[in-house]
Amino acid sequence: MLNRTIQPDLQPIDKIDFVKPIIYDITPEVKLFFMKDVTNETTRFDLYFDAGNIRSPKGIPTFVNGLLLSGTNDKSSTQINNEIDALGGFMESGLSAENAVVSMYCLRENVLPILHILTDSIDKVAFLETEVTELLADKKQAFHTNMEKVSYLCQREFQQRLFHSSEIYSTVATEDFYENVSTQGLKKFFQEYYQKGLTKVVVVGNLEQDVIDEIIDTVGKWAKTGVSIFEKDIQNLPGQIHVDKENAVQTAIRVGRILFNKNHPDYNDFLVLNTILGDYFGSRLMANIREDKGYTYGIGSMVAEYNHLGYFMIATEVGKDVKEATLTEIQFEIDRLKTELVTNEELDLIKNYLLGQLLKSADGPYSMMDLYLSAEAQGLDFDFYNKAIEDLNAVTPERLQELAVKYLVWDEMTIVSAG
Amino acid sequence: MIEFERFKLDNGLTVLFHKDITTPMAVVNTLFDVGARDESEDKTGFAHLFEHLMFGSSVNIPDFDAPLQNAGGESNAFTSNDITNYYNVLPAPNLETALWLESDRMLSLAFTDKSLEVQRSVVIEEFKQRYLNQPYGDVWLELRPLAYEKHPYKWATIGKELSHIENATMEDVKAFFQKHYNPSNAIICIAGNFELDYLKDVVNKWYGDIPSGKKPARILPLEPKQLKFKEKTIERDVPTDAFYYAFKMPERRDPAYYIVDILSDALGREKSSRLYISLKKEKQIVSNISAYITGSLDHGLLVISGKLNNGKTFEELDSALWEVLNEMKKAKMSDEELARLMIKIRTEKEFSDQGLLNRAMNLCTFELLGDANGMNEEKEIYNAIQPSHLLEMAKQVLVKTNCTLLKVKATQDAK
Repeated sequence: MLNRTIQPDLQPIDKIDFVKPIIYDITPEVKLFFMKDVTNETTRFDLYFDAGNIRSPKGIPTFVNGLLLSGTNDKSSTQINNEIDALGGFMESGLSAENAVVSMYCLRENVLPILHILTDSIDKVAFLETEVTELLADKKQAFHTNMEKVSYLCQREFQQRLFHSSEIYSTVATEDFYENVSTQGLKKFFQEYYQKGLTKVVVVGNLEQDVIDEIIDTVGKWAKTGVSIFEKDIQNLPGQIHVDKENAVQTAIRVGRILFNKNHPDYNDFLVLNTILGDYFGSRLMANIREDKGYTYGIGSMVAEYNHLGYFMIATEVGKDVKEATLTEIQFEIDRLKTELVTNEELDLIKNYLLGQLLKSADGPYSMMDLYLSAEAQGLDFDFYNKAIEDLNAVTPERLQELAVKYLVWDEMTIVSAG
Repeated sequence: MIEFERFKLDNGLTVLFHKDITTPMAVVNTLFDVGARDESEDKTGFAHLFEHLMFGSSVNIPDFDAPLQNAGGESNAFTSNDITNYYNVLPAPNLETALWLESDRMLSLAFTDKSLEVQRSVVIEEFKQRYLNQPYGDVWLELRPLAYEKHPYKWATIGKELSHIENATMEDVKAFFQKHYNPSNAIICIAGNFELDYLKDVVNKWYGDIPSGKKPARILPLEPKQLKFKEKTIERDVPTDAFYYAFKMPERRDPAYYIVDILSDALGREKSSRLYISLKKEKQIVSNISAYITGSLDHGLLVISGKLNNGKTFEELDSALWEVLNEMKKAKMSDEELARLMIKIRTEKEFSDQGLLNRAMNLCTFELLGDANGMNEEKEIYNAIQPSHLLEMAKQVLVKTNCTLLKVKATQDAK
């Protein structure tokens, strides 16, 4: 008779095979990372530029990023889109504080034709007045819609207070961004941060050597010389503030502080602490605030990482009448990590869970590349993950308590609500 | 080509196995043939509320998630108007933990009052977060009952109104489980690096003794053919006017479904599409516009939605939009345009098949449609579509009497 009350035996994950990409030097500073091991026809390539939001105030990086395929003097944006679509390319552009990335997804047979259309269109972008006007109107409209969302209002205020001591990192969009944008300013930014700003190239796909060579030949002219500078030392503004939003039925909450990235000796162990608190479905915040109290559809905590720093953040949206109750419970869960040792049972679960998630993050060439890049961005490689596995196996309840006392200090938190 | 094996247990459970020797992970995907369309009109939102309850205690296991996390895995689910789909991804050597958990909740839930109370509140917060507290969040709550008069697609999976969730009783919940959650109403797909014999053994071990139950008959109210144009304007505290044109289209099993899929791509999938070029780039009436299909198993919708530019009117939009639609009905599409749409479909499919979980989910969906191998036959169906098919289908679908229009009028001043 089958005993359904007992869990089947578990097998520990004893090792994870990390496959390192092949690395080419485009220049001594700018590298191409290549992962060939793809079993079907798919290909992706990413072009990284030192053109993130921190490189210029007043939204210029957003606008330039949005205009990369807006047309040249002899080709309209529609023609460019037609040509890329005719080759089945899916383009994505991403912009963060410290980076701009242009990614292309396509079949491998089309990778070179698409690359040439893409790079040619970007290189000759003319910043035509009609296109600039259209983009600004679209962005302004999207901004107005965003300002109706409590999550956006909350995150916006949070960013200003989190990066309080840095004028540029704490810059958020405002109404005046969309007025008086000079084409000259856009062009200047483009020349400086795109045409001389390529910092990294990533290629995943079953491609031959000559294709890689041609990619390097094509984009090499944009390679950045010298090292990109990013801030190392930023302080958040502790304290609590509320942003009013009329008629909202839910309140968004953010609680967080400036912290560190993968290069800090406490990082690996803190990540375990963060997972226990709020970074998986069974986390303490979820168990208490969603699964016990039913205050929210979801609550989570995270560690976000920059080139030289990071931050810790708890985020949720709750019923408007339970905002204070939620903050009380968040504080309660944080205090509990400081006053009570995590049980071995809970810690074992977290260790198994995190190892399983790491195994999944290393499954397949696309995931493997992304895992590698997340270390590489901070000057590390797969040794970091091998060390993380060692640290994970060694971490103790006492160590986690020590980190909770050291970093999860309520009086040092930036607390924002909007609703 | 996505290879798979199929076997059926004595209790009626359909099992698909997709072998992938390259992955250290395993997927266990379970599709229950029940969605919001199977709810009664005075108790909507149940299929989805029930999905939440499935993560509480089952009859022999107090907690679903913790044992799975202990096995290095994680789980989630979604509910649509048509189906409820649960999935687990975990390291392959721990496959049996997923089978143990999934089979126990197929056997029976614990049905505790606490679980119902809490998930009721969670779903109410989900309702607020996704539908009430977002600009334009409630448009589908408005559009569905406007487009559909009889068919249960007239309500959203979250439910018609909060009160249906608030008033759900334990009896309702148990009855729903009894009726829909049994092996003969489920399809599972296991994907990973396993041997077929081993897989049959472990599936039989965990699922073999679940009583079969009866596959519930589905007799849904038929939606009468739409004979006249329907229109509604709602006023909302939003910054920009928005529009939703919805056209009835063939059901999922009809080959014509694929023709309408391509029509929607031609109209408004990419920046090279007809509506984008005409209404946004040339006439500058809209700030964004796109066309897509709902992908429903019964008669679905082809939707064209977007936002107006400041200072533009719904009337300007309407005449420009119909101009594009009428062109679609007048002249055959060029081979060049069709080729451009097809290469996007092919590329997208290749990327979708790259993911283990996607493969397992799609196999289950196609099995529900009649045969999991449909996943491999789709390409041929697309390839057979000619410009003349598109022209004929455009004439049938893109007509005013087949259209429902929802306009969202912004009450905020344009800035």
